[in-house]
Amino acid sequence: MTNSRRDIFKFAGGAVAGALFTPAPWRLITDTALWSENWPGIPRPARGEIRAKFTNCALCPAGCAVRARCVGEQPVSLAGVHGGLCPFGLTGHHLPYHPARLKQGPIEEAKAAVRKRAPDGIAILDLNPGRTVSWTYRRAMASLQGLYLAPESQPVAYDLSAAKTVLSIGAPLLDGWGTPANVNAARQNFRLIQAEAVESRTAVLADEWIPLAPGTERAFAQEILGALQGERTSVVARELTADGSSFVLGDAPEIPEINRLLGAYGKIIVAPSEAPVPEPWKKSAAAITRLADVPDHSIGVLLIDESNAASYIPWHFIEPKLTGDNPLVVTFAATRGGYARHAQYALPIAVYPELTDDIAPAVDSIHPTFRISVPLVAPVVTPPAGLANPADFVGALAGVPASNALRERADAIHKSAEGAIVTYADGKETPVKDLTADAFWKSLNQGARWDRPPGLSSLVPAASRSTLRPAEPIESSADLPLIAIREPHNPALVSPLMTKLYQESGLRLAPNRVALNPDDARAAHVPNGARAVLQTRIGRCSVEVTVDPAVPPGAVQVGGSPGIQDVCGPAARVKVVPA
Amino acid sequence: MIAETKKTPAARYGMSIDVDRCNGCGSCMVACAVENNVPPAASGATDRTGLTWIRVFRIDNGAEGSGRRSAFVPVLCQHCGKDAPCVSVCPQQAVDVDPATGIVGQMPERCLGCRYCMAACPYHARYFNWWDPTWPAGMEKTLNPDVAPRMRGVVEKCNFCHGRWHAAKAKAVANGKNEIDPADYIPACVEACPSGAIHFGKLNDPATETAQGARDPDSFRMLESLGTDPKIYYHSKKNWVREISSAPRPGLAKENARG
Repeated sequence: MTNSRRDIFKFAGGAVAGALFTPAPWRLITDTALWSENWPGIPRPARGEIRAKFTNCALCPAGCAVRARCVGEQPVSLAGVHGGLCPFGLTGHHLPYHPARLKQGPIEEAKAAVRKRAPDGIAILDLNPGRTVSWTYRRAMASLQGLYLAPESQPVAYDLSAAKTVLSIGAPLLDGWGTPANVNAARQNFRLIQAEAVESRTAVLADEWIPLAPGTERAFAQEILGALQGERTSVVARELTADGSSFVLGDAPEIPEINRLLGAYGKIIVAPSEAPVPEPWKKSAAAITRLADVPDHSIGVLLIDESNAASYIPWHFIEPKLTGDNPLVVTFAATRGGYARHAQYALPIAVYPELTDDIAPAVDSIHPTFRISVPLVAPVVTPPAGLANPADFVGALAGVPASNALRERADAIHKSAEGAIVTYADGKETPVKDLTADAFWKSLNQGARWDRPPGLSSLVPAASRSTLRPAEPIESSADLPLIAIREPHNPALVSPLMTKLYQESGLRLAPNRVALNPDDARAAHVPNGARAVLQTRIGRCSVEVTVDPAVPPGAVQVGGSPGIQDVCGPAARVKVVPA
Repeated sequence: MIAETKKTPAARYGMSIDVDRCNGCGSCMVACAVENNVPPAASGATDRTGLTWIRVFRIDNGAEGSGRRSAFVPVLCQHCGKDAPCVSVCPQQAVDVDPATGIVGQMPERCLGCRYCMAACPYHARYFNWWDPTWPAGMEKTLNPDVAPRMRGVVEKCNFCHGRWHAAKAKAVANGKNEIDPADYIPACVEACPSGAIHFGKLNDPATETAQGARDPDSFRMLESLGTDPKIYYHSKKNWVREISSAPRPGLAKENARG
């Protein structure tokens, strides 16, 4: 057999045609895709030695123990040491790079202005009280004859492990109220009754959810109180008294009296024990004053520490306390979104995890603890712009040395020779008396927690009536048809990745959003996703609308942005109108 | 001399998720995004165009007024069995089921962005990159070095934190072991869950909590009637939650059941 040139061409043509039916060409396309998808616009993660650093999360008083996975010195992910972290804590390492972060402010100019006006009724509002820096503020205010203001003058602590039944009237017990690890550990041992208008994240997991009509939380508390006083009957009140170990959580002013009648004080609700403080500090510290107890028009210079604020006090509560004659307001803040809108000077501060600060006791911590949030990264904002250190700023006004306060506190704790320190890296517990002062300080700075066991603490029952807070009257109005239900407090600065929850899934209500029932949204002519204006008796603010059938008719769930809180108190009457 | 190769029994990694313990905090969602270098939402991203490898859905029993009850259900790639719908439709062989682990893998480098797999996935657990991945200035320093960011135009999804699997495997090999220590391989969402609602482990090892959870009479799998053999087991004592897993609305389970 002879092969002609024609046969060779036919074979080659057949081979090409046949190849089309094999995976080979498709594989070539794949390789083309592979080439095209590694283009230089995509960021390349840094490489380096992987190691772990430990710290305590400073975003809220829960102060969860944190293990940071670092590439070199840069944290690339955070995880809890004892149980998981909340989404805010998990993304804390993004905060120094937040585009909305306040990066510069006239620190020296503010200092000069405050010095000039200092004797003129100075006060400092500490929104994260209970820290070592709070003692610096108190000492400085005592020296300047000023006022140290905190949201609560007599905070209390709750021993969840001692409770068998918990009635929560709108409190976010399972959603950021206490330390997640503590609450989850205690959860199986108590029955949770959640009474509120919306089925919140706490209500979803409660043993019983009592849907209240919007704005009737206080009436419900009064009903319980009346039943406990024998004036009426209530199934819930009977349930609370049945097991002899129950308490009620919430904002209604009747709740302290209900807890007193339930015998919760001294058993479940106790005075929080504080870690030892140097004796000279106690002798020279101003008393804690509630903002509500301050006479109107009495503060000429107000300093506000917004560092990891545990709460937000709406501006309309603060403004009447300022003198009418050109008051000076200086705020130490991470963003422009909070009190910076009302202050003459907004001074930038370090944010977690670049700041060094200790953490105030958690609401569910019944024994004294001391934890330092150790920096994981160097401050991103560096001189000449620089960051203000609120403790140094305030300390310098009064000549109170502040730079070494944490070490002095640690030495006082060490001197007490009580309790033990738990180091997170190895989970080892070492009695303080076995450590030198330097070794104790070193351990605290490597991520550790000092605890004094409950048996050694002096649990003093809190005064039941002194925690009463006046409730804001519920307005009644036909022109403001909706009642506001507020979301739990969130940190002022949150990672851009929280858009996964706020924007890409709607799992959480974004701080600048409101949620309406479809019927109410239709009546207000605001579609889902539209911009709108939230009107109240106090003012108005711009919001975005989410239409959610889970919101009961007649109510509007409002996000926790300072702008919304400034115009919208608890159970406020509101109206939503198209922008 | 030829090294002796030890045959490792195939694992069948899976999850059991206790719906009755999930409070919808979203920790799993952000932990997943941090671990897998998923960028923050682009300005125009919505719940349909966003990238959420694990997404917590709020579901309800369909009742009105005071009878309404909700639950939170984390939904991720269900890591179907060997007949995963996304595998068979991919023209690029960019999706495969790893026989050694049972993990349904996605290779974005091979993906052409045709989105057939998204159309085929009955769980809507695949996501398309509509935008170039961008992070605020400086935040790119926080990216996980074990996972490559993906570009616009490709599909991505949960892979049970494959970067962590590789790290655990490398550690096992370095220690002269053939099997991964379960403590070394825990996906980010499992590690992050504050309420301990998610368990991860080998479904074919009866001693694991995951396998025990899967055997619980109150456990169920999503759209089980489709025969996709998913490896994510859910658990709830609430009838309506179990019922909704097989039907779009409560009460429709029987009408929708097939097979």
